Amino acid sequence: MFKLENTKKLKFTLLSIGLSTLLVSSAMATSKETSVDGAVKYPVKDGKYNSYYVNTQEVKDFNIGRAVTKNEITAWNVDVKPDGTGLAEFDMKNGEVVLGDDGKPKKAEGSVELGNELYDAQCVMCHGDFGAGGKGYPRLAGGTKESLKIQRLNPADENPNPDTPIRTIGSYWPYASTLYWYIQDSMPFPHPKSLTNSETYALTAYLLSVNGIQYEGEDLEDEFVLDKEKMMKIVMPNHDGFYPEVDTKDPKQGVKNMTALLSDPKIYGTGTRCMKDCIKEDTQKLLLKIENDLTANANQPVLTVRDLPKIEDKGAVLAGQKTYEETCVTCHGNPALGAPVLGDKAAWAKVVEKGIDKVYHNGINGINSMPPKGGTELTDEKMKEVIDYMINSSK
Amino acid sequence: MKNSKALQNDVKSNSVEVTSRRDFFRKTAIYSASALSAASILSPVSVKADEAAIINEVPWGIKLGDPVDKNLYGIPSPYEHNNIRRTHDLFSSGDAYASVSMCPIHESEGIITPNGLFFTRDHGGTAHVDPNEWRLMIHGKVKKEIVLTLEDLKRYPSESRIYFIECPANGSPEWRGPQFNSLQFMKGLMSAASWTGVMLKTILDDLGLEKDAVWMLAEGSDNASNPRSIPVEKALDDVMVVWGQNGEALRPEQGYPVRLIVPGWEGNLNTKWLRRLEFSDKPWHSKEETSKYTMLQKSGKAIRYFWVNEVNSVITSPCPEKPWTHLKKGDIVEIEGLAWSGHGTIKGVDISFDGGDNWIEAKLKGLVLPKSWTRFSYVYRWDGKPLLLASRSYDDFGNIQPTIDQETSAIGVESVYHRNAIVTWEITSKGECNNVQIRKHKKA
Repeated sequence: MFKLENTKKLKFTLLSIGLSTLLVSSAMATSKETSVDGAVKYPVKDGKYNSYYVNTQEVKDFNIGRAVTKNEITAWNVDVKPDGTGLAEFDMKNGEVVLGDDGKPKKAEGSVELGNELYDAQCVMCHGDFGAGGKGYPRLAGGTKESLKIQRLNPADENPNPDTPIRTIGSYWPYASTLYWYIQDSMPFPHPKSLTNSETYALTAYLLSVNGIQYEGEDLEDEFVLDKEKMMKIVMPNHDGFYPEVDTKDPKQGVKNMTALLSDPKIYGTGTRCMKDCIKEDTQKLLLKIENDLTANANQPVLTVRDLPKIEDKGAVLAGQKTYEETCVTCHGNPALGAPVLGDKAAWAKVVEKGIDKVYHNGINGINSMPPKGGTELTDEKMKEVIDYMINSSK
Repeated sequence: MKNSKALQNDVKSNSVEVTSRRDFFRKTAIYSASALSAASILSPVSVKADEAAIINEVPWGIKLGDPVDKNLYGIPSPYEHNNIRRTHDLFSSGDAYASVSMCPIHESEGIITPNGLFFTRDHGGTAHVDPNEWRLMIHGKVKKEIVLTLEDLKRYPSESRIYFIECPANGSPEWRGPQFNSLQFMKGLMSAASWTGVMLKTILDDLGLEKDAVWMLAEGSDNASNPRSIPVEKALDDVMVVWGQNGEALRPEQGYPVRLIVPGWEGNLNTKWLRRLEFSDKPWHSKEETSKYTMLQKSGKAIRYFWVNEVNSVITSPCPEKPWTHLKKGDIVEIEGLAWSGHGTIKGVDISFDGGDNWIEAKLKGLVLPKSWTRFSYVYRWDGKPLLLASRSYDDFGNIQPTIDQETSAIGVESVYHRNAIVTWEITSKGECNNVQIRKHKKA
């Protein structure tokens, strides 16, 4: 076996006398390397990676691509780390700082109160009042760290435990940085990346407040204004709920901790290769059958027959359909959210009773939990078009 | 008219028109077959009437087919219209955009999934990226920070490798008991393909990494981005930046024009519509990374990252969609299945006929590649009695697929992800196949 330095020297020698690198590769393969997940690493050996042949020509300086500009990095690099790296100090647009009325960079900050307004206008329709959740969409508040220890038993068991761990921002998430980044990058769901940094701070502040998170021992009241400095002092209740440690002083130690964890199957469960009399009990008594086959509710019937499909004439794409599918479907496609769902004849008949002008008016100006134009920037004409589409598709 | 078939045609017309003569013919045929010494080489009895599919000319045999310019991109036979991805509201986050579609693995052949049937997991719908506007930014702790166009990227030397991709939520509804009588819905959150692209190591060796570049962030250009932290050690091992899938460009659902392939690891790390790779000394703790892709244990603490899809297997034939209802007592049938491990290469698979009490070794077949689907097979004579069929795989890392009790006793039932316990099919005396579990029923 060679040490790395020896290998390098040998490699140089071999190359200089015109031999291929094959011999070196095979020599190196004798040292058993493990991969970062603690498992098997397959070195390139004899010009092959496992069963695959590999081109082992050594090439340097491909010189492909071009240098990145600073603004380009600023525009795309919006990630935020738990230590506050990446948290915005100013409002930004297209990679540049936004200037306020006074000509100075506009500080990024937002209050719980503003967050509440934004939430009620753009988030409540999916995530429910105070983050209580909508059917299917994630619940954002409630639950406790203690609840994470609950193990719901099998519903088929005797006296099954009906409770379940509740994983929300307040009970589960280890870092507030994740919340800021999440909102800024991916919310509101139908039109992400539309919020300013200040609005993102406001929504973050509101969601922290409804989760009972404190700042320096105080509840977050309406007037509380969140910014980068304060964000960095927020400690989440479940900050110590995850292992192994990966944010280590020596950066490589964190990865080593992961390798150690993944190398030990006992931690996550492994089997044994028992071949005879492995179950010491009556197998029939251990048999658990399906109570309610969920396959019955599949959106497409589970069939394997080979016949000719029935041909449906779907016709041309109706005006408004595209708008509906891109935007309105988020609420008007989900019965759990309370909005009349496309195709629900009874619900739409009731809507239309008010007269079409009233329906247009409500759509454009908002009604119940629906914000004006559903939170979109559609023109009045486009709104009417999509309303017509929804009504006509629900007759 | 085929003259050589005159006799058969004659028999056929008689059998259709004259019932008594048809019956006579059938009886004669059975009798003759059993009376002949060659009977043993004949298929077991039941020569009924001649088959119309043979006797009559078939419609596609007596007219011209389609011209070659009919389908300039070929599509499956219309008779295969049931071989499709399927969806279920239970697997969506409220809508069909942050959702999944399941691969019909009960219809899968070999170790490659056709591109149109590859399972889908989107966080904000399938993005449609203009390849001319697509850019890849590589920055942070690299010696040269660069931007690549698609044309640039394809100048790097390419490799093609076969890898499966599995969503760690594959089989997740079944932690607390069997829920779906369907292989597709039980295990269809995975697929496999031959991926073509450049080894990330090739790019990083060329650019040069800073000494403390230990973590990499991979991010998509779609509306959800789904950023994830990946250790650089993995990036330099076998991670690929790919543009090809089974010999053609990636499909939009798989990240057209470019995605990351992180062999063996959770599907969500295989970033689709890739646009940015950043290097750092610390991991990021990105959105789904802390809120979702963690494994809550019985202690109330969670495993922070759980990258690898563990050793796993399932019998794909029979399965609930492909039962043995057409078999008769004593028929010989091939039991076939898929085994896979994100930790390495499948070494073997055992199968059990009694719910895991006793096991025998099955045979591997075809190509056996690392972090790839591997086929196993066992030819069996079914005596028509009920069975509890199960498979158990093991890999070259030494991991062995656990029983449900072995898995849940280690990590409980609230992990959501990474369920790799043994799957059991109940075969009834009629040949029906049902999804069942063998597990201890605990009392609360």
